Amino acid sequence: MTMRRRQLVLNTCAALGALLASELSTAAEELGPHDWLTRMVDAVQTTDYEGTVIRLQNGVVDALKVVHVVSDGVVREKVIVQEGNGLEIIRNGNEVQCILPDKKSVLIEEWNDQSTLFSTLPSNDIRFGSEYDVSIVREERVAGRKAVLLAIRPHDSFRFGHRIWLDRETGFPLKTTLVGAQGEAIEQVKFADISIGKKIHPSALVPSIDTESFSWFTSQKRAISRAVETEWNSDSLPPGFRVVSMNEEEVPGQQEPLVHIMYSDGLANVSVFIEPLKDKNPARSSRVGSSNSFSIQSGDYQVTAVGEVPADTVQNIATSMRRN
Amino acid sequence: MNDSIKTQISAFIDGELPENEAELLLRRMSQDRELRQQAAEYLQMGRVIRGEQTLPGMEKLRQRISDELDDKSEHLEFDVPDSGGPRYTRPLAGFAIAATVALAAIFGLQQIASVTDINSVPGSDSAAVAESVDGGAYTVPEQVDDQLREYYMRHNASSSYFGADSINARLVTLQLREGVIVESDAEIPPLDEDKEAVDEESTATAPE
Repeated sequence: MTMRRRQLVLNTCAALGALLASELSTAAEELGPHDWLTRMVDAVQTTDYEGTVIRLQNGVVDALKVVHVVSDGVVREKVIVQEGNGLEIIRNGNEVQCILPDKKSVLIEEWNDQSTLFSTLPSNDIRFGSEYDVSIVREERVAGRKAVLLAIRPHDSFRFGHRIWLDRETGFPLKTTLVGAQGEAIEQVKFADISIGKKIHPSALVPSIDTESFSWFTSQKRAISRAVETEWNSDSLPPGFRVVSMNEEEVPGQQEPLVHIMYSDGLANVSVFIEPLKDKNPARSSRVGSSNSFSIQSGDYQVTAVGEVPADTVQNIATSMRRN
Repeated sequence: MNDSIKTQISAFIDGELPENEAELLLRRMSQDRELRQQAAEYLQMGRVIRGEQTLPGMEKLRQRISDELDDKSEHLEFDVPDSGGPRYTRPLAGFAIAATVALAAIFGLQQIASVTDINSVPGSDSAAVAESVDGGAYTVPEQVDDQLREYYMRHNASSSYFGADSINARLVTLQLREGVIVESDAEIPPLDEDKEAVDEESTATAPE
């Protein structure tokens, strides 16, 4: 190839590349916030990735190494926690192994859903009502990649807000923040580094330590539940929340089943559990991670509301429950 | 660790570090346990300065678990497991408690860990202990509440069916995965050493 022809080819390639980049850029800019959410859902369900996640919550900084592969619809995942005792979580489809190296033990769990550690809200089933606004805020760089920042802002203080940074190229969530009523970050999860869409060798998904001599345990299967019409309902739900399921669930060692009502505003879920009162308990609240709960005595029953919503919301819902 | 890094971490914790520098720092933190520890200490200092009390014994518990750090992930050697072979599983009460403590420490589930620890500190008034986190007050139960734990787990399991595939729900489920460890269908009897371990654990009465 002559120098002139080589230059012509290079110039043509450069022009085509610029045109393609321009097309992609235009396409990205034309996407609305809900289009980005749809892209995110697709990306989470289909993207192979490998990276390091930093999680900040309640003044604690955690780091996790993650490898995630989806093959023929089956999720395979490895998470190595960098703190504590080096816990490893290995997922192969529905089976999950929690490996505790210091205890030389493996706990086997079954996850029936397809969710993964780093799949974040919302799913395809989410339908935003009037309780949230979704908007594109700006573009930023996260983990060295261009990202589009989406904000999901609640209209009131009954629910948390969300900020999601999506990879501009793939729609994959690179960073998420759960936001409180005062704008404070309740929890942040962010990739410090990530490799997306590259071939991942199967050996990256096996335990990093030999578990041959470890003791293996299985966690107890979840109790049986059945859909029912219950006499319980709320007489004053926060706006936007509605019943999405009512179940009776068996409790080991207990004759009377537990009533479990799930309320949702399309994004945030709150469970209400009702069962006969065993001991007189004062009203109390608690917090686990970003979840809050509130328990109260109602006649001969104990009513407890649990959900990833502000403390006031679970309290409002628990105290609004009445038996017809 | 030099002062420059410490200053950077401090600025990062205060939200004053420029985004590009924060990006670099986060990458370094992901590779460096000492940096993460430093950040955690600064966060803790901030909480103390703001008058947010730490539950008694919490640091001791954390330190104890932290001492066990060995960063095996830095020296990975892949061993392909024989996933098709039989597995021998068994009930082990002590294991459940150990798993809970480990997960609590790992994921910062301070409440559960604190509750466990309070009960182990002589003279502590667990009923009176309360802590403010991010402005939200909560009451620490007097003892580890199995019922509440079960509620959280049931809620998270159900949430996944309604599109809440959130990391929060999943991590909380893992944090709370204590449950009752049951014996699965082993095809042949446990090995002698397993049996001894079962006997040993079955006589254990107190958590670590």
